[in-house]
Amino acid sequence: MSETPVIQLQGVRKSFGRNEVLKGLDLSVPPGQTVAFLGRNGAGKTTTIRMLLGLLKSDAGEVRVLGLDPQKNPMEVRRRVGYVAEDQTMFGWMRVGQLLSFIAPFYPTWDREWARQLSDRFELPLKTRVRHLSKGQSVRVALLLALAHRPELVILDDPTLGLDPIMRKEFLRDLVTHLQGERVSVFFSSHLLYEIEPVADSVVILDHGRVVRQAATDELRSAVRRLVTPLEAQTVLRTLPGVLDFARLGRQAIVVVEDIAAARPILAAANVTAQEIELNLDEIFEAYVIGRKEGADAEPALERVA
Amino acid sequence: MPNLLWKEWHEQSWKLGFGCVVLGALALIGLHSRIVADETMMMWVSFLGLTMLPVLSSTGLVPAERGEGSLESLLALPVKPSRILAAKTAMGIALCVGPMLVAAVVSLLAAGGREKPDSAIIAFYASSTVATLSLFIWMLALTIQLPSEARSALLGVGLLVFWMLATAALAFPPSVPRLALAISPFALVYGTAQQAVEGQSAPLPVPLVLAVQVGIALALWIWASKRLSNLEGQT
Repeated sequence: MSETPVIQLQGVRKSFGRNEVLKGLDLSVPPGQTVAFLGRNGAGKTTTIRMLLGLLKSDAGEVRVLGLDPQKNPMEVRRRVGYVAEDQTMFGWMRVGQLLSFIAPFYPTWDREWARQLSDRFELPLKTRVRHLSKGQSVRVALLLALAHRPELVILDDPTLGLDPIMRKEFLRDLVTHLQGERVSVFFSSHLLYEIEPVADSVVILDHGRVVRQAATDELRSAVRRLVTPLEAQTVLRTLPGVLDFARLGRQAIVVVEDIAAARPILAAANVTAQEIELNLDEIFEAYVIGRKEGADAEPALERVA
Repeated sequence: MPNLLWKEWHEQSWKLGFGCVVLGALALIGLHSRIVADETMMMWVSFLGLTMLPVLSSTGLVPAERGEGSLESLLALPVKPSRILAAKTAMGIALCVGPMLVAAVVSLLAAGGREKPDSAIIAFYASSTVATLSLFIWMLALTIQLPSEARSALLGVGLLVFWMLATAALAFPPSVPRLALAISPFALVYGTAQQAVEGQSAPLPVPLVLAVQVGIALALWIWASKRLSNLEGQT
């Protein structure tokens, strides 16, 4: 398989009226990886995904999916991509079996045997009307529809929205189980980071229409650290590169830095002893999107617990 | 395409049945009871079809699906929006033509040759069907981005009233060239009515009116197909 990125966005901008949703988005997804696309509600995740499928046109920049421009080749892109939309609404009057028969002819690569296997494994009731399915069953039907034509890339737009925690885990288990060994790339949008932490090879964090960090999951976990120092050291903390969050808690100053390797020599030179705390991806995400980044030159107006 | 037609048929066929029963029953009961002249009763049937069928068909095809959210699922499939719209349009045409055809057949069986010759009845329903189809295409095109059936029905009724008033405005002032009347969906109905009531010749040749109406319908349809896949308002 070629190493051309399955998704490549460069300088992508998109506005709806006066509301600029994407402000020069750059990201690249290598083939065969599961990439978590993270952002708060309204960060621009769904807009980005709709552009990847050619459902929306960018105002500026370049969008490539599997090497193709989705605006110029939307049919080819959609044939080769599996897509599960956020809160996907299907045709409620159809029975599950009818829905599969309706969708199959659109995909030349639809694999009936694979679809049957997936439907057995997901325990889908083929004679039940779609409107009578539980939320968990609906999501599984959507996943089956996204996988049965053996896509090269699967795009999931917050598919577990509205599912309870157990169903979310089951969905991710199904996803991982059925894509293992297939070398299918997965682009998985979510705002619930902890649920995709175990399956994501890398993470893209989107905030206010820009990618604020793209890195391998392990690299991100090892690079981003929370540092706790005596309050007297806050002047030094503010000189650290890549401060994501700054807070005071009693007589302690607390910062989150995005590159601990760059921070250590500066702390050592200033003779500051800092307690380093590892963060999980949820905390890292929080630091990127709601952290106080003004630490270098501004006095925090309020004390807050980091 | 066959599976798109199958879907539309399953979703809309009850409306076809409803329209056929309503118009057929009205024609049968009205013409059988002879409470008014046959021509008047057929005008009532035709007016009901003209007002009901375009609204009923256009609102259910795209705005309802956009409102439910299933349109995005359809647009995300590897199928051209023009094919989706073609299937929907075919079903809409069936919804408009079917009940009018039923009303025409019932009228011919119940009152053919009684007060009006069969050819006049056929011409009358044919002109009403053309007007219904024309109004359907107008409504389909103008409501294609609306996200609810209720809003599109309101717009449809507004459009109906607009064209009634516009037809009157185009037909009566002597300063307006008669050719302008050809753009109205009611052009043929007006001509047929004028022939029937006043015994005058049609104000415009039928082939000319049909050519203008087909041209307008094609332009509206192409415009609509370009706007079908627009999700700009749905962020």
